[in-house]
Amino acid sequence: MTNEIKERMLELLSDQAIFDLNKEELMELEQLKNQFPDWVNNSSFELTAAAIGMSDVKLVVMPEKLRAKILSNAENYFSPEVVNSETNNRQSFGSLNTETVGINLEAAEKRPFWQWLGWGIAAAACALLAINLWATRFQPQQEIVKESKTIQTPTPELSILQRRDQLIAAAPDIVRTKLEPPKGEKNISGDVVWSNSLQKGYVTFHGMPVNNPAKATYQLWVFDETQNDKYPISAGIFDVNENGEVIVPIDTELKVKKPKMFAVTEEKPGGVVVSDRENLVAIAKV
Amino acid sequence: MAQSILKRIASGEKSAVQECLNAYGGLVWSLALRMLSNSEEAEDAVQEIFIDVWKNSERFDENQASETTFVAMIARRRLIDRLRKESRRPNIDSLEDILSEPENSDQDIQVCVEAKEAAQAMKNLRPEQRQVLHLSIVQGYSHQEISDALDMPLGTVKTHARRGLIQVREDLGLGDSENGKEVTA
Repeated sequence: MTNEIKERMLELLSDQAIFDLNKEELMELEQLKNQFPDWVNNSSFELTAAAIGMSDVKLVVMPEKLRAKILSNAENYFSPEVVNSETNNRQSFGSLNTETVGINLEAAEKRPFWQWLGWGIAAAACALLAINLWATRFQPQQEIVKESKTIQTPTPELSILQRRDQLIAAAPDIVRTKLEPPKGEKNISGDVVWSNSLQKGYVTFHGMPVNNPAKATYQLWVFDETQNDKYPISAGIFDVNENGEVIVPIDTELKVKKPKMFAVTEEKPGGVVVSDRENLVAIAKV
Repeated sequence: MAQSILKRIASGEKSAVQECLNAYGGLVWSLALRMLSNSEEAEDAVQEIFIDVWKNSERFDENQASETTFVAMIARRRLIDRLRKESRRPNIDSLEDILSEPENSDQDIQVCVEAKEAAQAMKNLRPEQRQVLHLSIVQGYSHQEISDALDMPLGTVKTHARRGLIQVREDLGLGDSENGKEVTA
């Protein structure tokens, strides 16, 4: 890394930790991080700012009522359903790192036996459902998406269809919306499923034209209500090498706060940072 | 050496959630009260922050920062998001009050080693760097607001803040002059 680039990286990381970045600066930082992956997860500036922020804090005891609310949230958050689904699919629920958490709050320990029996039956039903899904729907040879380097590698145990089904079953806030070509002129259909709390989702296409990876690639975008429409969030690139159903994971590097539309464009190989949107292939409005 | 609370949350050990609240509930609540306009909003924010903490518990690396600083980092980011989203001002009486006492008080409680070291590192900064960092990080002012309040060019505000932060980062041992590998959280 040249000194100039390093200096600029330090400036942007400092500004981000102290003031936040505007859209242009954020784009610039993302581009630099793409060039220098060692810096992608660097949190030293944020940690420094946090240490400074604590340096003169006057500690106040948390109200008991608030503490009780948080413990109640914990019981819901670490519920067996979430734990089970996370255990089965650690990679595809990357933002939730709770796969083996078994909650042990006092309230939970005091549950009567019949409540635990209910959870046991539910757990057994989940296990049977998982076995059934595996037996009836695991068809890796039909996965025709050739995922690019920019999309997280899926777990080998479950097909992408199964992971999508798991997300739909486990996410408390799943949004499902219809996918269609922008002007209806192409025979493309499908849907988008998205969980904002888990920051995960999948796009299913039917009738998506096969692309030549040497000349073009498809790129997913998320339009966020809290962001300028000029700079939608890139959600990964992918190629289609066979006709039929295509399922693509939505993989955003930036947090999606309030999605209002998902879009697919055709771009040059490797994708782009900002699309000119000349080749808009499909959209799904939330 | 005992395993950290966050690692225990991530691995499912009993009672770690309550211990997390015992250890960091007061800190997060105090940070929220300082930044937000009322206690009702602070309560909402604190609940969100702890869910974020649980979500990210597996990312904590004790070789890079203390657990307290990691939790404070998550809290700070969430609180700033709230402030920015609503375009609201941090919870202070007046900028004049802040400008009149930019330095940290020795009597304030310092909640972890890094906080104490950060306080010391702040004292070693040039006064203008310390003032800008205090207004931005501790009080939550934007660079434009600081520029207006101090009648200082925007670029100068940013320069003071950057240099100050980089210096404190190095004093805390979080920085590496060659690459970004060493600190990830």
